[in-house]
Amino acid sequence: MDILASFGNGLLVVLQPENLMYCFIGVFLGTFIGVLPGIGSMAAIAMILPITFYLDPTPALVMIAGVFYGAEYGGSTASILLNVPGTPAASITAIEGHQLAKKGRAGVALFSTATASFGGGIIGMIVIALLSPSLANLALSFAPADYFAVILLGLIAASAVSNGGALKGIAMVVTGLMLGTIGIDLTTGVTRFTMGIPELRDGVHIVIVAMGLFGVGEVIASIRGARSGQAAQTVDYTDFYPSKKEWKSLFAPILRGGAIGSFVGALPGTGQTIAAALAYAAEKRVSPQRKDFGTGVVPGVAVPEAANNSATQTAFIPTLTLGVPGSPPMAIVIGALMIYGITPGPRLLTEQPDMFWGLVASFLVGNIMLLILNVPLIGIWVRLLRIPYKYMYPTIIVLICMGVYSLNNNVFDVWLTLIIGVVGYVMRLFRFEPAPLLLGFVLGPMMEEQLRRTMLLSRGDPMVFLERPISATLLAMTALIIVFALYSSAKTRRRTLASTLASNRKEQSNEQ
Amino acid sequence: MKNGREAGSAPSDEHHAGGLGWGGEIGGIILFALSVVFMVGGWQLGLGAPTRLGTGAFPFVTGAVLAVLSVFICIAERKGDGLAETPDWIGLVAIAAALVVFAISVERIGLVPGVFVTVIVASLPDRSLSFVGKALLGIIVALACWGIFIEVLNLPFKPFVVI
Repeated sequence: MDILASFGNGLLVVLQPENLMYCFIGVFLGTFIGVLPGIGSMAAIAMILPITFYLDPTPALVMIAGVFYGAEYGGSTASILLNVPGTPAASITAIEGHQLAKKGRAGVALFSTATASFGGGIIGMIVIALLSPSLANLALSFAPADYFAVILLGLIAASAVSNGGALKGIAMVVTGLMLGTIGIDLTTGVTRFTMGIPELRDGVHIVIVAMGLFGVGEVIASIRGARSGQAAQTVDYTDFYPSKKEWKSLFAPILRGGAIGSFVGALPGTGQTIAAALAYAAEKRVSPQRKDFGTGVVPGVAVPEAANNSATQTAFIPTLTLGVPGSPPMAIVIGALMIYGITPGPRLLTEQPDMFWGLVASFLVGNIMLLILNVPLIGIWVRLLRIPYKYMYPTIIVLICMGVYSLNNNVFDVWLTLIIGVVGYVMRLFRFEPAPLLLGFVLGPMMEEQLRRTMLLSRGDPMVFLERPISATLLAMTALIIVFALYSSAKTRRRTLASTLASNRKEQSNEQ
Repeated sequence: MKNGREAGSAPSDEHHAGGLGWGGEIGGIILFALSVVFMVGGWQLGLGAPTRLGTGAFPFVTGAVLAVLSVFICIAERKGDGLAETPDWIGLVAIAAALVVFAISVERIGLVPGVFVTVIVASLPDRSLSFVGKALLGIIVALACWGIFIEVLNLPFKPFVVI
């Protein structure tokens, strides 16, 4: 009952005209940016962040969240119509979605996506409302050593599964931790690694890191696609609604996808792509239509989409109750909260109930808005996809410049974005993923503070990490993940190397 | 056999990396250099005592961890799995130049002409857009920025600066 009352209160918060408006702006801009191929939800959030600094924390958080799930949503629209996923998670939706589109049933695919996203989002929201209060209560008993262990687990879990392999992922996390120390040390007041540049005294702003790594980097990586050019599939509106049979076949996959997604999304370091992929793989085994998977079936579109969207929402659970983000977009949420002077963590629920429950309720409102934006108004996005990317990307670059400059009205920040963007792009070429770096960058100062507190409390004895049951368990899990990730990435490395050699040999023999 | 494999690795790299034979070693070396900077810097800032960790303790420890990791990366990358995608150097240069142009121009000649030039520079790698098209795009984006950021959001930009 308590939860229902709190949720009702949150609904009242989000229904205030101001919050409602920013919720709408968030999901609208999110969908807009998500639809653009190659620009993911990370870049979307980074671009919106400078605007949110002019708002109160609650509408700002509601808007950032809206951009996040709106972008995931728009990503699937692009993936169905172009077969170019707007976001990585949408590539799973594209498997069945683009097949349906090729059969001339793009409308049905888009409709199923919309319904499944809505269903998944609602499931995710219910899970947050039910789980967060008890998790926050548990976290209240955490000592600094336990916090340190949670942060470490989150960082390792998020980086060990990165594309370039565990070693590079963890190296990027550590680099992020290191870069996070630039600026004034809050405990001692000493400036560190500023090289005498006064602009670096307050550290590097998170918007600059995010814009450089994701905004600039993703634009450079997607220009080539703009040059080759690609036209969107046309949507036949007469065939928009699924048949009665397909309509019925949607229900169970949405529930299953939503359940898998909300579980996976709440774990640290997993994210929507893994949620969507797992749910799709599971559905492929249990669905009555499993034989037709891969040829364009409605449940095959619904499942990853429901999982994706529910994972997007439950990612907020560790972020808000523990203050430990499981994924890079959540790291930005934490960064934004800290800019407002709000420390995310177990006390957030009791100290900022309006904000927390307002956010949870905004998921309901935002998902309804998305349903309206994407079913009756789908034509807007289809038309948007027809606008060639060559007009879009110079505009995006200008928006990045304006956003970064307006942080401090200082050109220095533009130069810094340029450096981070170029270095980030080159590192990405070498398979060093930017996402773990951002996570480490945000969590570095917190981790250092918890480490200092722990050592002070234990009078300099590091064994405290192994003596406390919570931190010992978490550290053991971290060690397991490292061992497993190193083992499996060594294995895939050997396999891909072998298969590349084999395919090369094949090509060579074909040429002969 | 081993020689044959090494000789055969050149086309395999080309297949992946668009002609660049080297891979993550460069990244590993960059990270190693960075880690040394933070270790030395952390040492100079002072490591403190176990009970009271100094200002330099965290940078020093993270630097040390990164140094070890980057050595392992260099070892693992000797086999090399090439680049993740074919690098788009033209795109990289154009976007970098666009940011440079924005940084130089926005305070000196004002937002509207600054954005105009930024758009032109950013769109240079796209040959399908004629110069008139690029100029038109530049004018539209510059005017839109003026309207939205200066008139509506009241951000402290100057639309034009008379030199």
